[in-house]
Amino acid sequence: MNNGHLVKIESVRKNYGPLAALDGLSLTIEPGQFMVLLGPSGSGKSTLIRSLAGIEKIDAGSIYLDKIKVNRGPVNVAPEKRNLAMVFQDYALWPHLSAFENIEYALQRRKLSKDISKRKVETALERVGLSTKGKNYPHELSGGEQQRVALARAIVADPALLLFDEPLSNLDADLRERLRIEISTLTREIGATALYITHDQSEAFALADRIGVINHGKLEQVDLPEEIYERPINRFVANFTGIAGTLTGKVKRVSKTTCIVSLGEDELKVRHTVGLEIGQDVDVLIRPAATSFKKDSDNRLAATITDIAYRGRGYEHAILTKYGTLTGVFDAGSHPRGGRILVSIDPDRCIAFPTEAK
Amino acid sequence: MQKVEPSRDTFFSRALLFLRTKISPMTIFWLVIVSILVLPIILFLSVAFSPKLLDQGPEWFTFKSFKAAADPYFLQSIWHSFVMGVVSSILATAIALGVAWIVLRTNSAARKVWNLAIFALLLAPSYLIALGWERIFERAGVLNIAGIDLPFVRDLLYGPVGIAMILTFKGIPFAYLVISNAMRGLGEEFEQAVRVHGGSRIAAFKMMSTLLLPALWSGIAIVFAESISDFGVASQLSSPGRYSVATFTLYKSVMSLPVSFPLCAAISIILLLLIVLALFAQTRALRGRSFRVLSGRTRPITRHKLSKTGAVSANTAIYGLLVVTLGIPVFGAISASMIQGLGTVVANYQFNFDNYIRVIKSPLLRAPLLFSAEAALITATVAVILAAISSRLLVSTKNGPGKKFLDFFLLAAVGLPGIVFAIGYIFAYNLPLSQRYGFHLYGTVALLVLAYIATALPSTTRSLVGNMNQFQESLSEACRVHGSNGIKTWLTIVLPLISRPLLAAWCLTYCGTLLELPISQILFPPGHAPLAVGIDRALGNYDFGGGTAMEVFAIISALIVVAVAFGLYEKLAPVGWKQLGRARS
Repeated sequence: MNNGHLVKIESVRKNYGPLAALDGLSLTIEPGQFMVLLGPSGSGKSTLIRSLAGIEKIDAGSIYLDKIKVNRGPVNVAPEKRNLAMVFQDYALWPHLSAFENIEYALQRRKLSKDISKRKVETALERVGLSTKGKNYPHELSGGEQQRVALARAIVADPALLLFDEPLSNLDADLRERLRIEISTLTREIGATALYITHDQSEAFALADRIGVINHGKLEQVDLPEEIYERPINRFVANFTGIAGTLTGKVKRVSKTTCIVSLGEDELKVRHTVGLEIGQDVDVLIRPAATSFKKDSDNRLAATITDIAYRGRGYEHAILTKYGTLTGVFDAGSHPRGGRILVSIDPDRCIAFPTEAK
Repeated sequence: MQKVEPSRDTFFSRALLFLRTKISPMTIFWLVIVSILVLPIILFLSVAFSPKLLDQGPEWFTFKSFKAAADPYFLQSIWHSFVMGVVSSILATAIALGVAWIVLRTNSAARKVWNLAIFALLLAPSYLIALGWERIFERAGVLNIAGIDLPFVRDLLYGPVGIAMILTFKGIPFAYLVISNAMRGLGEEFEQAVRVHGGSRIAAFKMMSTLLLPALWSGIAIVFAESISDFGVASQLSSPGRYSVATFTLYKSVMSLPVSFPLCAAISIILLLLIVLALFAQTRALRGRSFRVLSGRTRPITRHKLSKTGAVSANTAIYGLLVVTLGIPVFGAISASMIQGLGTVVANYQFNFDNYIRVIKSPLLRAPLLFSAEAALITATVAVILAAISSRLLVSTKNGPGKKFLDFFLLAAVGLPGIVFAIGYIFAYNLPLSQRYGFHLYGTVALLVLAYIATALPSTTRSLVGNMNQFQESLSEACRVHGSNGIKTWLTIVLPLISRPLLAAWCLTYCGTLLELPISQILFPPGHAPLAVGIDRALGNYDFGGGTAMEVFAIISALIVVAVAFGLYEKLAPVGWKQLGRARS
């Protein structure tokens, strides 16, 4: 079992011309922790992970790995001296080396004997379920197998820090789910600190010990997955971590944590995390889990079913209310398209934020 | 567990840090580039503005030489060079694209012959191709001896048609190498995507051509620059009365007394501006687009099975091309080498192998071949190492001043006629300053080889750019994060991935240097006549048989070297290296 790096990132800045890819970003990842950075394209998450790897040089700020500062003036600690490994989005398997040789390559820095090295590669291949594919070249492997080789290459040398650059984005849903579990268990098995970047919120919530939501080169919120979901600090975080829809209204009554929002003819009881005033215009962000077709709720809106999707354990519906569309409304039974229905809104799972000036 | 290796903050570490930032392997690379490429070019070109700088006139700054270059005689020859450059570069690149497709993407039987022939075509300098055509069609040439006279073909040959034709023939292998290397790295999924979305074969070919744009533009730029600076064709087919090109007028200026070096430099600058135009067009065409298609996910291509008609057309195209580019010149050279008395007034011509026996026996005829082979071996090895680094720099995503600087000088060196480049070397290394500091290079074999390397570097670099462009950055990044330093990354990942193109580039440079003409003529040290000088001397002495026999020997020896190099590669290179870019039958 390995001791992972303590990773400290302090006020890091990185510009590409006039564009700030990282804008004074700070983050700490405890040893052995699995941190997921969640953000849209262009938010700076790739730049951050590449800066940690030493592939990019930051313009200002500090990066510490295991209390050692790895950026020092114009010369950084070279990537090969940072004791880390990385799984790339395009896998970056070397096409002239077989799967075995690709994995073995990452072991060379450990300067092990040939026998031990061979055993370790075989173990790594076995761990990712490719013990019979060692002699195959990358082009002879499927996408999922290629990604597994990349994963085996990353873990074989027991690095102290594992970096994942959207490694599952090129795979189909089923394979993604299976590999997600493999990444999660293998990383925790070797005890490395992990930083995983993705734009997929379901992947982030499934993998992370902690999640950081990044936007425009800044961290919006870093917290436990549950906290991020239940108590998003702002509308960007709420929006990016999954909502069924947004309804706009005016605050009618406010208490410490909840308020009544008038949507027009209807009223909704919702939560708020920032101070609101009576009469203020607000957007109500509704999580998919807040919606249901239960009949015993007071917090209900009339709606029409516009679409239905079978999800195995039940059905997800898209509905149209007088105030906007909500998607992902789950029910064990199906409701026909065009049917009129009342949708219940759980006040704990919808949050009001002041409407932003357009 | 291994730890992060910190940099210690001591005096020594700071000194090391300073040295690392100031003197790296790249510093040495730049020093070499400046010494062999930049300095000779700049010194010579500066004479156009400042003749006094190198004792070529009384003025420190003047435009007089440009006024002299604006003379209609010079302007017309520059215009002719431009037209020849445009025509030959477009024709050669278009033909090379078609040939590359037939050879790499179809099961045409002719592809195997082409793979052998390409190096013969590469190694034959333009003056030899032109000479081959001349030997056949000239008055008292091979056809004439056989009783056939075709004056209209002779008229076409000694004019723009003949010059453009030979320059195109000479350009095809350069363009082919660049395009074929890029095509090897291009998986067939892009073409398949076109077909499954309703596109025809032609649409798929168009898509493939678009993805090959960096290589196509590289091909056009190389052939354009090579054509503009070519002296071989000019020396054989250009003439003031008919169709004079810039290199011919330059040669005339250098050879006539008094020599006006400032005027030569001014003409060279104008030629360089034409090259800048080509570079500008290339940059404009590719700006803001990415063509990185080679990765670990690239799958081998499957060859198209041609229909009967398709196979006949493809084979006819390849064999037809080989007949005009190689067959006729080779026939000219071989037949001339076997005729006793060709070029003399002896009327009783005999066919035998006496000329070949003379070349083997006579040290005067044999020594140049051995000397050039040694020089070509050193030149090819050093040039390929420098070209690999240069091409990586040129395709770097960091668009720094170093990249632009290198790009400009590499292209400038292609555009600079060899004869002018050689004069630049004399200027740079015969200066009192270089003599004072102990650089006694003038008149040595070392200077000749350095000049060979400098002239070979641009085309060798360009031939690798297409491949480097396909190289996904993440492959070397993955290497660094998994524990390899920069040098190991180069040795274990970059070089193996481009090993075949590197070998091709080595062979190209070897062949090119073996028969190099203009630099050899100006810079050869006493007692060490290179091959081209030896052939030229023999032809100058009307020993057409001996000269052409030397040509044939040189070409055969070069073909053997190429065959051995590729044979060794096939035998010794690891399986993984060889399978890159290989098509499934």
